[in-house]
Amino acid sequence: MKRNPHAGRQRSGGLSLNVFTQDELHDIHLGTLEVLERTGVWIEDDEPLDIYADGGCSVDRSTHIVKIPPHIVEDAIRSAPAKVIHHGRDPKNDLVLEAGRVSFCNFDEGIMVIDPDSGEHRKPTLKDVADIARLVDALSDIDTYESAVGAADVPGETQCLHNTLAALQNTTKHCGSEAVSAYHARKLIEMGAVVAGSEEAFHERPMISMGVCPVSPLKLTRDCTEVIIETARHRLNDTILSMALSGASAPVTLGGTLVVHNAEVLAGLTLAQLTERGAPVIYGSSTAAMDLRFATAAVGSPELALISAGATQLARQYRLPSYIAGA
Amino acid sequence: MIESGVTFDFAQLVMDNEFARMIKYCVAGIQVDDGTLMIDDIARVGSFGDFLSLDSTYAFMRTQSQPSLLDRRVRDDWKASGGSDLYTRASEKAREIVADHKPEPLDPHVLKRLQAIVEAADREMGVA
Repeated sequence: MKRNPHAGRQRSGGLSLNVFTQDELHDIHLGTLEVLERTGVWIEDDEPLDIYADGGCSVDRSTHIVKIPPHIVEDAIRSAPAKVIHHGRDPKNDLVLEAGRVSFCNFDEGIMVIDPDSGEHRKPTLKDVADIARLVDALSDIDTYESAVGAADVPGETQCLHNTLAALQNTTKHCGSEAVSAYHARKLIEMGAVVAGSEEAFHERPMISMGVCPVSPLKLTRDCTEVIIETARHRLNDTILSMALSGASAPVTLGGTLVVHNAEVLAGLTLAQLTERGAPVIYGSSTAAMDLRFATAAVGSPELALISAGATQLARQYRLPSYIAGA
Repeated sequence: MIESGVTFDFAQLVMDNEFARMIKYCVAGIQVDDGTLMIDDIARVGSFGDFLSLDSTYAFMRTQSQPSLLDRRVRDDWKASGGSDLYTRASEKAREIVADHKPEPLDPHVLKRLQAIVEAADREMGVA
């Protein structure tokens, strides 16, 4: 029997989740634009207020509320690059991030650890940071290292620098870091330049990126905006990650939760693009539900699975790389 | 089942039931309409309110997932009530169900006829 070749046929070529139809994505997008335009976001610091104002947003200096017109948000979404690379100290660990490509990293950032030898539940040390980075370096399918735990045995004021130093010594994979101010961001960049050999070499292949979290609902505090501005100026990958909680800091319904979540991420993304058009931004979500029976964050819950799948689809719709919570 | 389907484990099935409920919750998806996007509620709360005290939160509260075996309390509360692991709780639940659960019995006449069929088969096959 002859089986001649088919003319061009559609193949799935893989499995994916589709939580929303195009119409539903559009409804969430329009809801988000309405929130950003009419309700606005609270911005603590003056410098980002200036940047939003210069970019054409409506800024109320007395209330610190910034209202962002839809065309500015949509322009920011388009100007953020669709593809970014998380460089490793060793180029074989360079990782391409773009909508639709799936990769994995460790969870970021724990404040306690289970001791691998004794099983004791205790505060993490710098040795734990080093050990976890070494573990990530050895595990073939964990693609990048993110600040897994914060060392409790170093000064809080410089903890993120100590964490990153320990990580850089123990993995040649990309190191995601938690800068808590522009000062810390600049110090991390200085450290990256030393590892790379020069500031130019670091900007060519930055092995460090940073991440920030807005405060739900709809607030971008100083630490968050300082790091967004600093990373944008250096064109360093910055993950803007909302941690809204359904029922507490966001509506109890998951659709409404995604609107608040999306508004926060896009407000941060807009700041990055108004600071430096084309700055690489990663769309982040650790948004979850609050279990209203116990007032705890239900992280390993079906709600988180749905929110994460929905947030991923939003990022994909925007053609942005995403960084989304597992459980 | 464990070992590729060779061995049945009671606790495993009870855990699977919990996971199945979570999967069904996911499969039902996220409803998107004016009632669930709550744009007006979001505007009312703004940057400094909270959603806990809203009527809508009360109204939709019971749409949240409610696991019975997975423990969502904080570590201290979990430890204070024994700190058992999931497998232990699932085993207890399985033993409890097997001991106490009484499904609707068969009609006695139906049962008698069914038993007669099985007994007749035993005789026919020569194993009675």
